[in-house]
Amino acid sequence: MSALIEVSDLRVTYGAQPIVDGVDLTIERGEALGLAGESGCGKTTTALALMKLLPASLKQSGEIVLHPPKSDEPINVHKRTEAGMRMIRWRHISLIFQGAMNSLDPVQRVDAQIAEAIRLHAMGGGSEAVQARIDELLATVGLTSALGHRYPHELSGGQRQRVMIALALACSPSLVIADEPTTALDVVMQAQVLRLLERLREELGLALILISHDLGVLAETCDRIAIMYAGRIVESGPVGAVFDDPQHPYTRRLLDSLPVIGGERGVAPPILGQPPDPGDPPGGCAFHPRCPYAKERCSAEQPDLRQLAPRHQSACHFAPWSEWPTVETSVVGIDTAVAGEEGP
Amino acid sequence: MSPPGSAGAEAPLIEVSDFEVQFRARRKLARAVDGVSLNWRRGEILGVVGESGCGKSTLARAMLGLQPTAAGTLALDGEPVEGKARLPELRRKVQMIFQDPYQTLNPRQRVRTIVTEPLLVQRVPAGEHEGRVNTALGEVGIDPARFADRYPHQLSGGQRQRVAIAAALVIEPDGLICDEPVSMLDTSVRAQILNVLVELQRSRNLALIFITHDLSLAWSLCDRIAVMYLGRVVEEGTAVDVIERPQHPYTQALVTAIPVPEAGGGGGERELLEGELPDATAIPTGCRFHPRCPRRFAPCDSVDPGLLPVGAEGQTAACLLHDPEHGSDA
Repeated sequence: MSALIEVSDLRVTYGAQPIVDGVDLTIERGEALGLAGESGCGKTTTALALMKLLPASLKQSGEIVLHPPKSDEPINVHKRTEAGMRMIRWRHISLIFQGAMNSLDPVQRVDAQIAEAIRLHAMGGGSEAVQARIDELLATVGLTSALGHRYPHELSGGQRQRVMIALALACSPSLVIADEPTTALDVVMQAQVLRLLERLREELGLALILISHDLGVLAETCDRIAIMYAGRIVESGPVGAVFDDPQHPYTRRLLDSLPVIGGERGVAPPILGQPPDPGDPPGGCAFHPRCPYAKERCSAEQPDLRQLAPRHQSACHFAPWSEWPTVETSVVGIDTAVAGEEGP
Repeated sequence: MSPPGSAGAEAPLIEVSDFEVQFRARRKLARAVDGVSLNWRRGEILGVVGESGCGKSTLARAMLGLQPTAAGTLALDGEPVEGKARLPELRRKVQMIFQDPYQTLNPRQRVRTIVTEPLLVQRVPAGEHEGRVNTALGEVGIDPARFADRYPHQLSGGQRQRVAIAAALVIEPDGLICDEPVSMLDTSVRAQILNVLVELQRSRNLALIFITHDLSLAWSLCDRIAVMYLGRVVEEGTAVDVIERPQHPYTQALVTAIPVPEAGGGGGERELLEGELPDATAIPTGCRFHPRCPRRFAPCDSVDPGLLPVGAEGQTAACLLHDPEHGSDA
């Protein structure tokens, strides 16, 4: 395997507030990376920054180097101008937005929308070639050509999501970033879309960044997972290692809060409080105010992401954790459950 | 982890029989709820699960008299509710909270006003208001001194849902219908809200209905689960029986599709349900699930199965495979 995209020290700020606070990522060709975390942790911002799609109010810095499989020349994405990015977006990296199935143009037929994407970003070719490509794309995502003549409102949610995936594939990118692609879908449709993404990875050799707050979805689809908290990656590693042997208290608590059918029923003790306000981040480790294992050092010193095992990293001062001490579970009482939850 | 509440053996808080709710859409008739009978016992946590469009939210609205029914009866504490005469009583005893508290809380009212309003509607003497509002807020973990004078936009998503729960709770209902109460919340906040609800169930013996598409959540919290498909309950039983040993092919397919938070997940080999939920204006003949059913056989497109006892004690499923007249017992 060789690296497809290398991101180092990616930072995104809103005024003085860090939204993404020094993210390093490498994605291999054909690899699926899951990016997990709660709202506001910076996962969507990270994805948008990779395509330089952030609004002007957000400033980004850091290096993004793309190694397109089609050529030997690395592309310094971070140095590209807006005009230069047009050659990258869709042709090398494409994005399936959150709630994208509702962002199709309601007054244009589906095939016309796909044609537009092909003409704008690819070489074009005659209308017959474009039509052939549309049919091919629709078939790839499991839709018939007849569906292409329909308007978005004539399609179901699952079909619209498939159209969005076809659009993302229109210009044969080597990396697809999918931001919560199944969040609005029911469990059956979700499973169908995830299976489609898996199949496309195999058939087209696509690399995938899958962003989701649903660890179950990531476990099923990804090779590797990175957990973000307050703009930083706090743990990353192969899916098996992270799920079987989490090395950051935040990961551990997230996993604990997921019901696993056949296991113990009931509500898990909650993670107290709320994710920090980016305008007023806590000192030291950003998770320390909510961490049941926090010690003095955690409020003073920000931990770096450290290598624990091949490819398994954690940003916890006390990693590696070989066993997790039992913590007080008095938190079930609702009074204490909210003690830390502050309004903005 | 704490075990979910257990239900008593008294008369059901609400009993619906042969409920039907219909909508007219472009001269077509949508049968959103198409013959549902359900018991909701006092103190019980009942899960109603199914894909969007299966009629679970419509059923809940109809149970509160918020949606006219085309047929069927509703009994509150064993006594029938007909016409409008007992609606105030029904709504005093049963309250509802929704998925998005931002849309249900009036943005121009302060928390105190929001939580007081149900008391005004129910004509509770003004002298009791402050005490009851403070108690309700306290029970959901909102400090009245700090939050009662805030507006909804000054609260986090989790706090807004807590306020919605407090507003439902302030008139001391016996039952609370929760329509996807945590599906918009993040993992950590979600657990906080679930803890509040389960604690209330325990401390007040409050009956809960959880409407959700999240089967693992329903499994972990509920005493019983009813699985809906196209306006019908197709399987019902204890949460453990229905989810761990599902007997209806639809429930089996739903359970198979749950992403498993373990490396490799549920494996890529599992059989997935094809197609999508049909339109409620075009309910298939016979068993409504038969066009998507991996186990359909000859009579399925002509015979509409009713709920039959299957599997464990008290478990029922509407599937001809379990009907001795048609299928061999599966």
